[in-house]
Amino acid sequence: MTEGTIIEITFHGRGGQTAITASQLLAEMAYEKGFKDTIAIPIIGAERRGAPIQAFTKISKDKPIRTYDSVKEPDYMFIFDTSLLDIPRIRDSIKEGVTLIADSVDSIDKSKLPKDVKVYIVDATGICINRSFMHSSGPILNIPMLGAFGKVSGYYDLEVMEKVLKKNFGESKLEKNMNVAQDAYETVKEV
Amino acid sequence: MTKVELTDFVQNKETQIIKGNVAAANAAKSARVQVISAYPITPQTTVVEKLSEFVDGGYMPGTQFIKMESEHSVMAATVGASMAGTRTFTATCGQGLFYMYEMIHWAAGVRLPIVTAIVSRGTAPPWNIWADFSDVISCRDTGWMSSFCATHQEIYDEILMSYKVCEDYDVLLPKFVAYGGFILSHTSKPVIIEDQDKVDGYLPALPDEKGWPHIWIDPERPLMHGNLIMPSGFYSEFRMKLHIALLESKEKIKNAAKEFEKVFGRSYGNGLIQEYNMDNAEVAMLAYGDLALQMEEAVDQVREEGYKVGMVKLRHFRPFPTEEIIKLGKKVKVLGVIDRGIAFGSQTGGPVSCEVKTALHETEGTAKVFPMMNGIGGREVSLEQQKNQLKLLVKFNETGELPKDMIYGTYWDGLLEVE
Repeated sequence: MTEGTIIEITFHGRGGQTAITASQLLAEMAYEKGFKDTIAIPIIGAERRGAPIQAFTKISKDKPIRTYDSVKEPDYMFIFDTSLLDIPRIRDSIKEGVTLIADSVDSIDKSKLPKDVKVYIVDATGICINRSFMHSSGPILNIPMLGAFGKVSGYYDLEVMEKVLKKNFGESKLEKNMNVAQDAYETVKEV
Repeated sequence: MTKVELTDFVQNKETQIIKGNVAAANAAKSARVQVISAYPITPQTTVVEKLSEFVDGGYMPGTQFIKMESEHSVMAATVGASMAGTRTFTATCGQGLFYMYEMIHWAAGVRLPIVTAIVSRGTAPPWNIWADFSDVISCRDTGWMSSFCATHQEIYDEILMSYKVCEDYDVLLPKFVAYGGFILSHTSKPVIIEDQDKVDGYLPALPDEKGWPHIWIDPERPLMHGNLIMPSGFYSEFRMKLHIALLESKEKIKNAAKEFEKVFGRSYGNGLIQEYNMDNAEVAMLAYGDLALQMEEAVDQVREEGYKVGMVKLRHFRPFPTEEIIKLGKKVKVLGVIDRGIAFGSQTGGPVSCEVKTALHETEGTAKVFPMMNGIGGREVSLEQQKNQLKLLVKFNETGELPKDMIYGTYWDGLLEVE
């Protein structure tokens, strides 16, 4: 990572897939790991279960983050649902050089993407079902997705995740949280 | 009311990654407010939610949380609690603030040190819940102080500074602390929550059972408040004194900021304005709220391209820093003013640019004012846009040329095509 750069991350999910919380947790984990500044930016409108939602996180190793605007050229993109890649607005936002982390069992066809796009997949939904890590309307995808991101980016490790998750969700839910995080950390793979 | 002994709950200094609204709630907690009355409204709701969690969880010992059926009642309850001699807090925005409007005048007229967070949003119709300072600006002439925050940390810090100013015996006025809805309220950044001991030392002591020096509600000493005053009575004089108190609060605001810097190490300029990168600046932008932080980044980037630009953050709208603006007018050749809020039918359409023009109109050889407007109803303002705004000031300074599409003397940035 070059000095002075701000790493920008976009989250694409559907209402209920817990992507907004993911953007917040990522900011906390980066800060815990020693990043100097972070900002988590949810885009709030009239969202509902199943509708496409968007959030951003910016993290910076050394310089303060002084912008509140949305991320236009992300370094990383979280795709909580690969059907979102069919939406032209989202597909067109995938620019050269970006790294994608998608919740998917199947491989993703890279031929339709710009060159130099790295794609990682992790079966976050499968991990959640397997570990009964669910909320009222489906799997809690953000924890395994963040586990996978920790591995892919190297910005934080499971130890940092444990600290942040304990602070946010308490001791009683820590083991369940860490199980799915670890499963994803270990199984995320490049396409 | 019965005074509740404060127990030993103490907050130690800690950095938390929190939303702007949670920073506001933490400030109320750190200030040991005794009465909170509030009614939820987007995007303010999470301030109230957090505070009710704090009160319910025992983190605010001695604090009473009064739920109300409307904002009008909220301010009425807050006024009552303040008159009874307690430190009070509430938060609202947009339509909620307008519903409060009658009681807002009451709070200022009775000279009560109530601090109210305004999570600014657009005014309906059309319905809009996103960042726009039109709401707090529409309370311009109520006798309240009002300030804008540019960062999450500033929300926390400004609420603390506000209690210090409001409760000063020479001021005794209520204050709005405004920040952009969603842009600050729902994004998360690292915020330092200060040591309770340090905050206790910075703020004035909580009022004792005698309440504020000028007013009280006490069944043992029954009095009538807010009586009718005939035109021949002291009404004019009451109102004049309110006006003077608001103007003279400037010195108290400066002192509060100075002392805040000494105690907590964070600087907010002279309290009224804060300059950024003004060395040899030929043109400057006056900005407020969240856009002032992003403007700092824009100034740095435009300076790297070789342009002598600077910026000044407007921290207070009331009292208006007239003297500081006059000084600023002498320093630069062009002074841009970027508004996020509309003063309908006024000279420029921008509430702050109007104030700036008024402040400068009697000064010889002062900067030319370049009014701009953007971000209405929460429309995103990008860093690139702000860099362009600065370059428009440079161009105006060098060539005298204004953009072709000025609307009654103001440059509206980022508009969609309309027929």
